[in-house]
Amino acid sequence: MIEFQHASKVYPNGVVGLDDVTLKIEQGEFVGIIGLSGAGKSTLLRTVNRMHDITSGSLTVDGKEVKNMKGKELRKLRRNIGMIFQSFNLVSRTTVLRNVLMANVPDMSFMRVLLGIFNKEDKIKALEALDKVGILDKAYIRADQLSGGQQQRVALARTLAQNPKIILADEPVAALDPVTANQVMSDFRRINKDMNISILINIHHVELALEFCDRIIGIRAGKVVYDGPSKDVTQDVLDTIYAGKNPMELEDK
Amino acid sequence: MGLYDKIFKPKTIVLSNGKEVKEKFTRTPLILLILIIATVVSVQITGFDLSLLVERIHQFFVILGRMFPPNVDYIPNIWGPLLDTIKMSLLGSFIGSVVAIPFAILASSNIISIKPVLWIVRLFLSIVRTIPTLVCALIATYIWGLGTMAGTVAIGVFTFAYVGKQLFELIETVDMGAYEAMEAMGATKSKAFVTTVLPQVLPSYISVCMFCLEGNVRYASILGYVGAGGLGLILNEKISWKQYDSVGMILVILFGTVLIIEWLSHYVRKKLT
Repeated sequence: MIEFQHASKVYPNGVVGLDDVTLKIEQGEFVGIIGLSGAGKSTLLRTVNRMHDITSGSLTVDGKEVKNMKGKELRKLRRNIGMIFQSFNLVSRTTVLRNVLMANVPDMSFMRVLLGIFNKEDKIKALEALDKVGILDKAYIRADQLSGGQQQRVALARTLAQNPKIILADEPVAALDPVTANQVMSDFRRINKDMNISILINIHHVELALEFCDRIIGIRAGKVVYDGPSKDVTQDVLDTIYAGKNPMELEDK
Repeated sequence: MGLYDKIFKPKTIVLSNGKEVKEKFTRTPLILLILIIATVVSVQITGFDLSLLVERIHQFFVILGRMFPPNVDYIPNIWGPLLDTIKMSLLGSFIGSVVAIPFAILASSNIISIKPVLWIVRLFLSIVRTIPTLVCALIATYIWGLGTMAGTVAIGVFTFAYVGKQLFELIETVDMGAYEAMEAMGATKSKAFVTTVLPQVLPSYISVCMFCLEGNVRYASILGYVGAGGLGLILNEKISWKQYDSVGMILVILFGTVLIIEWLSHYVRKKLT
């Protein structure tokens, strides 16, 4: 369970990222976060695993205050939270399998990491994760030879191999074509339902968000302006989130 | 540039819709003038004398002529020093390249966020880089005595400074996306570095090391001048004794060696990219 209580974030240059956010996300929810660029979607997501700090208020993950975590404790928290990025963030020069195996690195000894020695069980787990996202046949191909959609699936497999309770996805489909985006979103939904992993996803494509997510959080200038089931999102709600501009129209351009 | 534009008026181009664009007069004459002044001044300061150059240039060809034919009988005496030279440059390059790694990491602003550490390590690398290899070798002979040990140290120090700078610049231009992903996953900085940054810089790093080794073979051959062992030792001796045919032989052998090393290094670097 993730709980924000009056959480705010002000960047050193004075920009307000989050403004008095209070939210509660239960285990196993599939949440889409929508809003204009710069509204604070990424900030919201990145405070959960403390890639960014909140400056006031409180944020707890499974009852533990994230703000005060340091070193080992923080790494333990991150161990249970998977993260997916817009630009995939794979090591492009090495194989798909090795990229997935990297999920084990935090628990390995430094010598093993340096020499790149992985357990057989880890290898089987990694291959199983690749199978779950449907690209088992690509295991021994270099990551940079895959298409964008396939690379995002490698990233997803890497996250799955980490056995997370929560997955944070920062614009995971923004760099993909509509068909691939749809497939990747289906992967997310299946993982959410089958493995009861909470998924928080930042997304620009409103129709994808409404189709796949159970709950929508709308952010505008750091404030939560809508929080409810995706089926209740009306044109009025979208107008509020996007400051009067129609996102469907904007996307067509 | 205000004054320049007043003397040489900008040209006005009128477009078909009546808009005017001002094209400034070319700067080439100004640059040429500065270049000529600089050349004249430097000739005066250094006392360069063209007539002396022309007058004495034939002496160069006289010496060059005396090197031919090279003294083939001298070859057996060359192998020893040649091997020393190669050993010095190989070992020195290897040690320098390895020692440079931790320093390069400490000098990379995308890995280390503590500013004073960056500055101190970079300043240190700069200072070491300014010491000429020959001076370094000379100092090393005072510490470790005459011989290849001093040469190896000198080569190692130079390689360390050169590779260190190149490597930290490589690390700084790396794509940090995967590193961020590893940190988000709960890996320590060092583990994230090894798994994501290292594979990205490794081919370029080896390429830099090979390039450095290539230069080091040439450097190593003159280190003997200050007593640091290798080819320079006999080169110095034969030149002072005016035995130019032997000097010629040494140069031919050195040329061959450098050619082979350059070819090897070129081959390895090509394979890496």
